Amino acid sequence: MNQRDRDNELNALFAAYKAAVPDPDASANFMPELWRKIEARQSFTIRVRKLTQVFVGAAAAICLLFAMVLAVPGSHPTELRGTYIDVLADAHPADNLAALGIHGDAAEANTK
Amino acid sequence: MLVEFEQIQKAQAGDDAAFNQVVVAYRKRILGTIARLIGRPEDVEDVAQEVFLRLYYSLDQLRTPEVFEPWLYRLTVNASYDYLRKQRRRNESRMSDLSEQQVMMADAAAGGKVSSEEQRRKQVKELVDSLLGAVSEQDRILLTLKEVEGLSLKELEKIYRVNENALKVRLFRARQRVLNAFEASQGSAKPGEQKS
Repeated sequence: MNQRDRDNELNALFAAYKAAVPDPDASANFMPELWRKIEARQSFTIRVRKLTQVFVGAAAAICLLFAMVLAVPGSHPTELRGTYIDVLADAHPADNLAALGIHGDAAEANTK
Repeated sequence: MLVEFEQIQKAQAGDDAAFNQVVVAYRKRILGTIARLIGRPEDVEDVAQEVFLRLYYSLDQLRTPEVFEPWLYRLTVNASYDYLRKQRRRNESRMSDLSEQQVMMADAAAGGKVSSEEQRRKQVKELVDSLLGAVSEQDRILLTLKEVEGLSLKELEKIYRVNENALKVRLFRARQRVLNAFEASQGSAKPGEQKS
């Protein structure tokens, strides 16, 4: 059998297939079921939208709360100014270090 | 077009009655296309409802009513493809269903309940379904639209949004695979025919 014959036979088979599987009629339940599915998806979308709104609202409230906490004066423990060394020097005055028996150049300079 | 452009525009505007009319106008054609694309009569309505469900929720994206039909076909192709992909995952359980159906069919035939014409149709359907099994789900759909539904390359171009040459190549390869499977099936059928 050559290529042309095989092609023709396959074409005939496809035509027979179309005839063997005609367009079926929709059942009586088709439209009610379709609308039920449409409404089910609508209510699902509405629920997701509501849930999203709740989450967005909650996130906004939390942001506001944090902003207020940060904005209230005195809520910060200490205000840091200067370098790390300055902060250390402020926290440990030379007198205290001398009392502890620590003698450094800075401590000596301060006592002099 | 099976409906007026106005009807589609009304449906786009949210008129449910107009949408209903569009569905009623197209459902028989869509049911037929799906029946031949998926090859499972019991699931045809579910897939068709999925098509119209997608249509309902995406109708507002349709720019011009002129492209409504290719667009509806694209939704049909996508829904059928999704169905076939899911089916492949459930293939094993489905195979047992099929064999059960075949047993029932054979029983009915033995009892004279099924006419010879019905049997012939069943054989053609089973043969084509098995031949189309030689190609991927995507190629099965493409080949069915071209060879069985009789859509032109221009129409397929609009549905798939790819150029004609790419479609021709895909169609040629898919058809060759089906032809090979057809030859193989004829080769295996011949000894059986000789026995009977």
